[in-house]
Amino acid sequence: MSEMEVMQTVVSILTPYAKNGDALSHVGPNTHILDDLEVNSARLVDVVLAFEDKFGIEIADDDVDTVNTVGDAVRLISAKLA
Amino acid sequence: MRFGLRWRIHGMATVRREYRALQRANDGPLLVCANHLTMVDSALIAWALGSPAWFLVHYAMLPWNVPERRNFAGSVTSRVLVYLMKCVPVVRGGDRRNVAGVLARLAWLLGRGEVVLVFPEGGRSRSGRVEVESAAWGVGRLIAGVPSCRVLCVYLRGMRQRGFGYAPPRGEHFHVRLAVLRPRSELTGMRRAQDLSQQVVRTLARLEEQQLDDR
Repeated sequence: MSEMEVMQTVVSILTPYAKNGDALSHVGPNTHILDDLEVNSARLVDVVLAFEDKFGIEIADDDVDTVNTVGDAVRLISAKLA
Repeated sequence: MRFGLRWRIHGMATVRREYRALQRANDGPLLVCANHLTMVDSALIAWALGSPAWFLVHYAMLPWNVPERRNFAGSVTSRVLVYLMKCVPVVRGGDRRNVAGVLARLAWLLGRGEVVLVFPEGGRSRSGRVEVESAAWGVGRLIAGVPSCRVLCVYLRGMRQRGFGYAPPRGEHFHVRLAVLRPRSELTGMRRAQDLSQQVVRTLARLEEQQLDDR
């Protein structure tokens, strides 16, 4: 799966959790998941579990600590898929 | 609080007796998880659990708090108070590494026999009720990282409390309920953390139901 495809899937997973629709329409690798998309931090676990299910990977707690932006998520998932 | 604001906590003697029993039992780290409706909940819960004199003798039993940094950063007085009190500030929804650092500090404190107070809903309940779906997974991650962790669930609510607010009104009467559990989960990773968090918040929701039924 290419990074572009991972990006598209990540954005589709984030969409129902994002409160800021405007930021979602301009989403890019530097878009902050909590600050820009305004995803509730309590919902972050649901997002990560959706990543696990969709991509068939396992994401450790420590890995989650490295994810702040959409680009961070794409890089982490791409590395797990490689 | 008792004389200036005329606040009263019903059943406080029983609650303090149960808290002293937990201290004497000394069979594992103690994490206090409470519902959250006002900005003074931490102080109210500490008042419910022990007298100032008892906390002076058993200082480790005075719970550490995890205040949201943005809630006190604007005032010099509150910054000084937070610095002097047992507090580990956190930026809710901030950089994940910083949040992980706060969780690691809390786990270290629990391991040293200190009591830590957290609000597993992650903030004041906007509905005024315990929100099970708002269970913050960080609480479960903390429990998972502290072997034999006991959780003391504290449900505290003022009689006139309808929704969330800054502070309870003068003359408010509170009721408090406790439940002790040792959350367990066979799951792994973040599912485990989520499962543990939900066990705690569901217990708080059950205490809330009991309290509202008894009114």
